[in-house]
Amino acid sequence: MSGTDLPRDARAAYSFAHASEAEFARILDFYQVAWEYEPQVFPILWDLDGNVLESFAPDFYLPDLELFIELTTLQQRLVRKKNRKVRRLRELYPNLRIKLFYARDFRALMLKYGRSALVSELSGTLGQVGPRPAAESDAQAGGTAGHDTLRLEPLELSSSTAAGDPVMRTSRARRARDARRRAVRRAAASAPSSPIT
Amino acid sequence: MKHSQDLKADVAEILLSEEQIRAKVAELGRRISADYAGRELTLVSVLKGSLPFMADLMRQIDLPLRIDLMEVSSYGGTSTESSGLVRILKDLSSPIDGRDVLLVEDIIDTGLTLNYLLRYLRGKNPQSIKVCALLDKPARRLVDIPIDYAGFQIPDAFVIGYGLDFGEVYRNLRFVGVLRPEAYES
Repeated sequence: MSGTDLPRDARAAYSFAHASEAEFARILDFYQVAWEYEPQVFPILWDLDGNVLESFAPDFYLPDLELFIELTTLQQRLVRKKNRKVRRLRELYPNLRIKLFYARDFRALMLKYGRSALVSELSGTLGQVGPRPAAESDAQAGGTAGHDTLRLEPLELSSSTAAGDPVMRTSRARRARDARRRAVRRAAASAPSSPIT
Repeated sequence: MKHSQDLKADVAEILLSEEQIRAKVAELGRRISADYAGRELTLVSVLKGSLPFMADLMRQIDLPLRIDLMEVSSYGGTSTESSGLVRILKDLSSPIDGRDVLLVEDIIDTGLTLNYLLRYLRGKNPQSIKVCALLDKPARRLVDIPIDYAGFQIPDAFVIGYGLDFGEVYRNLRFVGVLRPEAYES
């Protein structure tokens, strides 16, 4: 999905997995930085037959800056898993530029923009739209397709801010449909290839 | 936001003293004077945070120079909610086409504002455009923009003073300090 090349109404229809991601997209829009949301899934672990066991889809890609951004506003336990994934990603794809934006970074950003009151609502589990993906859970299963399928499993919005936000007001059906489409597309795109060793 | 009557009471630590800032500004002024010798420079400052730095820096540059001021809306500002896009609140007073421009910033954090400003100013066809920033906070940088004249690299902390504010307060402190968390968590 791409950001600034589309009308704002269209962008508002996108479904973000987390309220902090929607807020981050708004910041990028504000400063007219082009973005794409989860445009690519990178396989990071394969079995001996070359099947993808684990993959990682950074939250944002900023094409003009050639930079991936991963937002991590969740619990420390999950941050450790994400750190590990980012390390693995950097090992396997050394030319790829990725920046991990931690909860403290996001909090500081909100503070800088005078939106500190939103921090608690946009951070952690309160800001989640759906359960975090299997890729971040202990199960670690799912591979490429499983990542987004679980990530965008529809759930009730848990944050009052998110519930009132047009960006986050996407219907369950639309999120599920989007997730299915993306899962199929990505599964096809990253179908068994030679594992990087 | 609730701040103390004694602004210094809200400062957890002094990061850069008045003397350190003065010495660094003089050093930057010498470098800029040498690099632009024989040319005419236009300093463009970004309101409001850069004002003290601009005022001190221009007096440390031994060149014929012009100054100009700009102001851009910041994300989260109420005046910008309707459009959702950054806006130029105050544009340059004079054209800069064909001129050597030095953009004077108080702090480079994410780089988003600077990135926008540079794109905007380049569209006005200056002969050259460089960046001078007193403070460089690289920890949360999103847009990597070379800072031609950088004062201090600072840690990832919320800093105030010497033009930097929180809720429009603390700009008049003569030093750069770290704001106590209690001041913004309350």
